[in-house]
Amino acid sequence: MNLYWLASKNISGNAFRTGVVALCALLVGSFALFTTLLMRGAENSLRLAINRLGADIVVVPEGSEAKIESALLMGVPARFWMSRDILSQIAAFPDVESASPQLYLATLTGASCCSVSDMFIIDYDPQTDFTIQPWLEQNQLDMLRLGEVVGGTYISATDGKQNITVYGYLVTLMANLEPTGTGLDQSMFLTFDTAYDIASKSVQQAERPLEIPTDSISAVMIKAKPGSDPHLLAVEILQTIPGVTPIESSNLFQSYRQQMTGLLKTILFIMSITWVLCVLLLGLVFSMAANERRKELGVLRSLGATRRFVFQSLLTEATLLAFAGGATGLALTVLIIILFRNALVALLGLPFLLPSAGSLLLQVLVGLFLALFSVNLAALLPAMKISRQDPAIAMRE
Amino acid sequence: MKKLMGVLLVVLALVVGIVPLFTDCLSQGRALTTTDGKTVPMKCHWTAIAEIGAAIPLGLVGIFNITSKRKETFSTLSLLGMGLGALIIAFPTVLIGVCANPSMICNMIMKPTLIAAGTLAIAASLVVFVISVRMDRGQANIAQAAG
Repeated sequence: MNLYWLASKNISGNAFRTGVVALCALLVGSFALFTTLLMRGAENSLRLAINRLGADIVVVPEGSEAKIESALLMGVPARFWMSRDILSQIAAFPDVESASPQLYLATLTGASCCSVSDMFIIDYDPQTDFTIQPWLEQNQLDMLRLGEVVGGTYISATDGKQNITVYGYLVTLMANLEPTGTGLDQSMFLTFDTAYDIASKSVQQAERPLEIPTDSISAVMIKAKPGSDPHLLAVEILQTIPGVTPIESSNLFQSYRQQMTGLLKTILFIMSITWVLCVLLLGLVFSMAANERRKELGVLRSLGATRRFVFQSLLTEATLLAFAGGATGLALTVLIIILFRNALVALLGLPFLLPSAGSLLLQVLVGLFLALFSVNLAALLPAMKISRQDPAIAMRE
Repeated sequence: MKKLMGVLLVVLALVVGIVPLFTDCLSQGRALTTTDGKTVPMKCHWTAIAEIGAAIPLGLVGIFNITSKRKETFSTLSLLGMGLGALIIAFPTVLIGVCANPSMICNMIMKPTLIAAGTLAIAASLVVFVISVRMDRGQANIAQAAG
């Protein structure tokens, strides 16, 4: 008779206790993993979106801060304009290394072109751009020519192998960017020249023409000179140019960060309560089990089992149950997160990107450790108490 | 344990049979319109219908797992359960498919639900299979010892 044999016999002998302990371990492990995956997934997504934009400061029309965040992060339709003259005013600042305009055009709802219902069109200037251009060069692609576009990961060709019809105009999808888990995944990037060409031809070719306001841009992406302070530059722009708001990259998506922090606090609060309740319930279950098995354990002691053996047998039982429950809960959580990630993004209104396999494995191991720790913590006191009891008294009671 | 897995299979069969009917695009009023003006359901609807055909035998496998007392039937039932689980996953992914747009309800809810239910059906059947094999081995050992 060894520890594992004794523990497994005890586990199979009491279905209710086994069920309760495994369920608590399942809850603790899966809740911890779910929270970590969701929060880290959203954080990774935000970081990737900021890196993709590549700007130190984004200048938008005053009052459009929330709109640009929703547009870039969740692909929510946004229309805001400012005069193109602002670009030259910004470029004249001595601390600005490069300033590139972007124009957010129209979100095609239910467009047949895309594998998503809302497609966001972002026009950029290839001469000054540092959002798409470095990526194209990195992937050995030429500068986009007239009629050529780059899509987010969800943009797929519908006409032939590479073509997409936009406002009756056939554009060629040159490449797809890597996923970020944000609205950028459902965005189409094209040059100003292509956009103006689409707009002029859409009058005859499209059911609804593409309207581009003359001499207008939606945002200016700024890269500050090395060694300069982006914060001071942002303050200078705010004070000098009226009607615009400079957003530093560290402050970009601030409303989503606040929403995430709020959600994290709520989840952590619920998780703490769940954890405390689970540990208390487990403690109660193990106390009842230990009390119920006093005579049995007394017999074991009288047959020569040491205190250490009794103590270890109870903790082995707890560990086996925690492992089974925790592993089941973690497997279910990973399955649910992977399968339902799009539904979760839509439900929570937060961007989300799955972690790498290594990072996921690490988080699963942490979740499993938490489940094992919680169950063993709850079993520790009853196990110590019962193992210290005199066998003669235990058998007589 | 086998009865518990049987109950789980019945619940999964209900999920597989009912959930797709309320989460396909047709249930949301979305259908394709042909050039002659006729409306045709999108392919996720046919997946939902096909899943009923897989849900009924899966439910029966679950019921037999609960009611059966003959040990020999468990391994056959579990193999059948695994096959049906694989079929449940194959309908929305390989055999028929769902709509292409990832933001449509069939892609966001129906397909993941069916994959999750199919995976769980395979896992539950695998548990029953392992138990039945171990029981058979146990009985063989007893018979060998007695003989």
